[in-house]
Amino acid sequence: MTGVSSLQSFHKKGLFGDHHKKNESSLLKISEIKGLSIVQIAQYKRSKIQLKEIQIDGVKFPLSSPNVEYNEKTRILWSGPKTWLIVSSKKSIDQAIQEKCSSENFAVTDISHSRAVIQIKGFKAGEILKKGCPIDFNNFKRNNCAGTIFQGINIVIDKTEDEPETFNLFALRSFGESFYHDIADAALEYGYVGI
Amino acid sequence: MLEIKCPYCGKRSQNEFSYGGDANLKRPELGKEVSDKVWDDFVYYRSNPKGKHSELWHHVSGCRQWFKVSRNTATHEIFKTSKLDEEL
Repeated sequence: MTGVSSLQSFHKKGLFGDHHKKNESSLLKISEIKGLSIVQIAQYKRSKIQLKEIQIDGVKFPLSSPNVEYNEKTRILWSGPKTWLIVSSKKSIDQAIQEKCSSENFAVTDISHSRAVIQIKGFKAGEILKKGCPIDFNNFKRNNCAGTIFQGINIVIDKTEDEPETFNLFALRSFGESFYHDIADAALEYGYVGI
Repeated sequence: MLEIKCPYCGKRSQNEFSYGGDANLKRPELGKEVSDKVWDDFVYYRSNPKGKHSELWHHVSGCRQWFKVSRNTATHEIFKTSKLDEEL
């Protein structure tokens, strides 16, 4: 993890867009999520290990798209056949991964430093994503995830809540600024709170 | 805009995919003497059929898997998609 967050210099706090005469608590909230451990896990083809036997922080590996397995601090996103993204706010997650995912069976890559993570929460969150992303959000449920694009930028979407609608959005760190501005721009129409 | 059914992720927009060429193309066998013409055909020459065509596509913005697509090049109708190790 780095000391300087990827959106530090351009994520602004406050009210933006068409927020006038609207209750602040009902507005969309945009925030940067910092300090997450993001680890990519890929099981080798030659690996014979049974995935059912493995749990990271008590969480199983999801076996198909678009599923997420989770507990309070750790979420495991399906990102491809035998490929997952572990996202956790638990400090000891690296150790747990090392213990459960041996180098004979898995390629483990810490990509925490290379992702910008934006959370959008509340009013019209799904509508904002619809503006730049071709996913069918009407059928995108809680604890669904998808690798997709937003205005041409590769992103991973993780829907963590239905009420209020909450999405964690992961983009490459180098695309973070552009992605943040695209999201903020899409949200101006409804008004949003930067927190 | 096409909607392509990725065998791993389900139906997704064409924006998430990239085209990967003819799925029937076979690389000349390794270790065998190969004439310039055979290499030339393999590297550069492609048929350009009007109608049903077997293609490779890559779900580059999604699961990053390659798969096969049977598509009509004139109407863009997609008949079937399959994993690489499955019959199309």
